[in-house]
Amino acid sequence: MTMTDTAHSIPLSSGRQGDAISRFVEGERRRARREMITNRLLALGFGLFVIAVWAIATHGGFVHALIIPTPLATLEATGRVMSASYFWPNVWVTAQEIFWGFMIGMATGAIFGILVAMFPAVRATLYPYLVALQAPPKIVLAPIFVTWFGFDMESKIAISVVMCFFPMFLNTLTGLSSVDPNAVKLMRSLTASRWQTFRYLLLPNALPIMMAGVKLCWTLAVLGVIVGEFVGASAGIGYLIYAMNFQLDIAGVFCLIILLSLFTLVIYQLIEWLENRVVFWKAL
Amino acid sequence: MAAEIISGANISKVYATATGPLVALDDVSFGIEEGEFISLVGPSGCGKSTLLSILGGLEARSLGGLTIAGEKAGKPRSDVGMMFQTSVLFPWRTIRENVRLPGQVLGLDKRQQAARTEELLDMVGLNGFGDRFPGELSGGMRQRVGLARLLAHDPRILMMDEPFGALDEFTRETMNLELLNIWEKTRKTVIFVTHNIGEAVFLSDRVFVMTPRPGRLEGIVEIDLPRPRTTEVMRDPRYSELVFEIRRMLGVDH
Repeated sequence: MTMTDTAHSIPLSSGRQGDAISRFVEGERRRARREMITNRLLALGFGLFVIAVWAIATHGGFVHALIIPTPLATLEATGRVMSASYFWPNVWVTAQEIFWGFMIGMATGAIFGILVAMFPAVRATLYPYLVALQAPPKIVLAPIFVTWFGFDMESKIAISVVMCFFPMFLNTLTGLSSVDPNAVKLMRSLTASRWQTFRYLLLPNALPIMMAGVKLCWTLAVLGVIVGEFVGASAGIGYLIYAMNFQLDIAGVFCLIILLSLFTLVIYQLIEWLENRVVFWKAL
Repeated sequence: MAAEIISGANISKVYATATGPLVALDDVSFGIEEGEFISLVGPSGCGKSTLLSILGGLEARSLGGLTIAGEKAGKPRSDVGMMFQTSVLFPWRTIRENVRLPGQVLGLDKRQQAARTEELLDMVGLNGFGDRFPGELSGGMRQRVGLARLLAHDPRILMMDEPFGALDEFTRETMNLELLNIWEKTRKTVIFVTHNIGEAVFLSDRVFVMTPRPGRLEGIVEIDLPRPRTTEVMRDPRYSELVFEIRRMLGVDH
């Protein structure tokens, strides 16, 4: 049996210049490590620079404290807000709204994406309307939803669902449609049913694009909830931001914005981590 | 004369385009016997891939009749295996799972398929690569997996559309030898599409020479080179004669 083209993929343990090769590899590795450390330091340095500019501008009196609080005041506000009795119940409300908005929006988007991609009749019937509905900025629905669903969680969840729906719908549809025509021919030649083609080929093939949709959904779910809380709510982080802004507690507002961003970012990273596990083959 | 496993009678394929009807295949008739190795050769636009798609049931013919294994044909069949220019391995499946795909789709016995998969991986020289993913393999190795998957459900007829067309010359030659090796062992009916005349002569019992605009079956060349064949065959003066006969039919010698 001939194996001429397999040789290069078997890990090379030693060449004819064994020692020199391992020294070379070690050198390359060191260089890559140095470069990574330099890049980290550059990013960190820029962050510190921004904070320094912020501190100079505020402490130096170039910007009024009512417009931008000092870094120290923001830090102090963080301690004050996080230890206040009202803080965690409000966090809990917002977290639940985001969770349900994200989950329901994502699920309905994916389901409609699958239906439109898999059934030509559904596509012909619904697709023009779904695309047309995508045109208006979804935020205009916020006041109406508050009117319909009230000041409690339901209205925020509804806005969040609407925000999440379209990116998930479109990414699912795109993912299911962008498939190698030869792969489809292969499944057809094997007399695969529509369900088998979906399960063995189309769905796994769509996962990378769908996961990109999930990441989009996440930030939009947060956005939808906060906007909803601005428009009409009696609890939640958006409500707190709105109230503090009204009371000119700008340091408190800054602190909540930073905490909210951190929360969004941490979950985003978690989704990315999950993505790398779900679509592991992208890295191969 | 052995029984014909595939016979086509006056097959035509017409596409309706904005500028009028485009005849991709014009009145093609032929018979293929069980166990024959047939190549379809011709320049792009001669309809060879279209003809293969029609034989495989992936495309509908506009006119004419087609019989496979005594039945009227027109749909994909589980006794026909198809292979394409790209290996179309699924990157989320291991090599082993890729070879298992046809068995899964056709609902074949799992234990038998598992054993057969190992046999086939052995046969194409990929023993020990079963747990790797396609992204970790070279182009040549991926087509070997494609070859193993092609044989997984033991189809009676193999239809291959320029399967090694994207490989470099050396790898292509190796793959051709491997394919001949497999064919000698299994004696399946093979229909092999290529634009490489030398490859067609080297592999086939008969070469269907096709010309473009409209796609026609110009003639059929009997390849009377001895079997089993090795690359030594290419030294045979008869090999060059056959290559040049086909070149003449295609009008590529001026």
